[in-house]
Amino acid sequence: MSTATTTPRTPTQSPAKPKHWWSYAPHEPFLTRRNRVLWYGFLLLVLAIGAWPVLNRLINGVAVTDLTSQMPWGAWVAFYIYFVGLSAGAFLLSSLIYVFGMHQFEKIGRAALLSAIVSMGVALAFIGLDLGRVDRALITLVYFHWTSPLSWEVRFYTMYVVLLTAELVFALMLQRRTMAPAKAHTWMRILGIVGVPLAIFGVHGGTGTIFAVVKARGMWFGGLFPIVFVVSAVVSGTALVMAIHYWQARGAGKRPDTKLMQQLSVVLIGAIFVDLGLMFYEFIVPILSFEHHDKSIMAIMALGPYAWSFWVFQIGFLVAALVICMSPLKRSAGWLVTAAMLVVVGILGVRFNIVVPPLVPPVIEGYPVNDYFPTLTEWLVCAFLCAGGALAYSLVSEWQPIHDPDPDEHVDEHEEVAA
Amino acid sequence: MANPTKTEGPRWGMVIDLQKCVGCDSCTVACKAENRTPPGVSYNVVVEEETGTYPNVRRINIPRPCMQCDVPPCVTVCPVNATYKHDNGIVVIDADRCIGCRYCITACPYGARSFDFGESYAGEWDGADALQSPEYGVDRGSRETWKAPIGTVRKCNFCMHRLERGEEPACCETCIGDARYFGDLNDPNSVVSKLAASPRAFRLKEELGTEPRVYYLR
Repeated sequence: MSTATTTPRTPTQSPAKPKHWWSYAPHEPFLTRRNRVLWYGFLLLVLAIGAWPVLNRLINGVAVTDLTSQMPWGAWVAFYIYFVGLSAGAFLLSSLIYVFGMHQFEKIGRAALLSAIVSMGVALAFIGLDLGRVDRALITLVYFHWTSPLSWEVRFYTMYVVLLTAELVFALMLQRRTMAPAKAHTWMRILGIVGVPLAIFGVHGGTGTIFAVVKARGMWFGGLFPIVFVVSAVVSGTALVMAIHYWQARGAGKRPDTKLMQQLSVVLIGAIFVDLGLMFYEFIVPILSFEHHDKSIMAIMALGPYAWSFWVFQIGFLVAALVICMSPLKRSAGWLVTAAMLVVVGILGVRFNIVVPPLVPPVIEGYPVNDYFPTLTEWLVCAFLCAGGALAYSLVSEWQPIHDPDPDEHVDEHEEVAA
Repeated sequence: MANPTKTEGPRWGMVIDLQKCVGCDSCTVACKAENRTPPGVSYNVVVEEETGTYPNVRRINIPRPCMQCDVPPCVTVCPVNATYKHDNGIVVIDADRCIGCRYCITACPYGARSFDFGESYAGEWDGADALQSPEYGVDRGSRETWKAPIGTVRKCNFCMHRLERGEEPACCETCIGDARYFGDLNDPNSVVSKLAASPRAFRLKEELGTEPRVYYLR
């Protein structure tokens, strides 16, 4: 734990005031020189490996996947809802600061907003590549069908990205003092107040509704599903921001703020408890009502070919994260980021289990049982898009003061740690 | 979605007598030939279901075209209105609008929709892609990459192009047991209306409220 002293930042130490919010102005480095080479080298390597699979997908269509007409959705849809969740969760975390005035999280406000925007972009890239006719993606904005949750989602996502971008711009203007703080705070509060219901009911609750209205599939159909989506979004979004804070600080040669991470872990603990509680009800109701279709899906989840995903990621990782955050291990930032990363990966397992097992049992007895496992191409496309998102986040962080402390706040003197 | 009670023209429906079906799959073959569907796409299948234990075993063959539901869950979820209920009762797909999201496939309780992944029989027989069936009366010429219906969702449409010529769907015409009846469910005197009102008639998954226009006789 840091024994940091606290000193007020004097006006002379404030960052230079740029003319526009988008113009570059010197700020604290995003990464040390050595870590920059390592990080961008790694990302470029992943992008290089994933480039051909993406091209292959664009040339040969969805035939490069393991999907069939009876198994229409797979890993890319799971990643799509995963990143929508990360985005909604990160945004809701930022709203704790900008709407509800929890200034102890101010340090990660812009990082949360930027990760929300980038995650949404990655989510849209995933679902874009999953479309059979990616060239027609934009006609979803032209034709509207009010009974289709997906049609609403396209509009909610668009509004959400515009709103998030505006909020980040105001946050950057505030940070760089190109706008009066009171005015910027007012605008951010207004945007946050609009954004919170949009994120909860529109973006992520709505994404859950895409599945919840499908009465043909067990485990999807029901009112609990959108709520599960929102809660697990808070879980994954909080964990993502914790992980970003830790790794960016380490990458920049600074000591991560353990106290901040402990405070975030409290949010994480609460959200994981609610998430596991909802999961309990999601399972116990079909079991006790002997609902055949739901029970067969649960059997596939827990005992079938995807049991590893259920027991290791969905249950194991989330419970392990909970144990770390509630034990003396929480005193260490290293353990806290371990918990956060377990959650980030664990929720990916949750998303996979939402999408894939309910599609495995045939809708009519006599049809073949579906057998799906993502192809190498599917995995490499996932790696490409994740690396693309990380690269976009990093480049914006290099360009704008995303991780800098507030110029007027009392800031911790970051202790240099060995790179 | 059209209101079934307000249309004046025919509203097509099908009745399949399970006692007459011998499970020969000739309907599936006729459908593939008529609609020239690619590998992996079958508008009609015959589901074979065995019930009971030896020696008291019974086998039921359930031919499954699209049910052309009056409350079609596939239509309600389509984000771009690419699939909709035609006035004649048939659920149609506009291949020039479909974005290929496959949401309708997940929503169909009968597994009646297929995605066209772009596969072809070209390696198996000459001229396989030279011509496509004029589905919904649209002449699409040869089957080519990047060209609809590749990358979109497809399904049985009661051979609408044949209906417009005054012909029955291919599956009905070819059925060796004469197990399939086709006609106007709006006409109370039609054979299908009378059979649909029979005590033997039932529909698949009626509890979902999808109101299929395909009836089975047990």
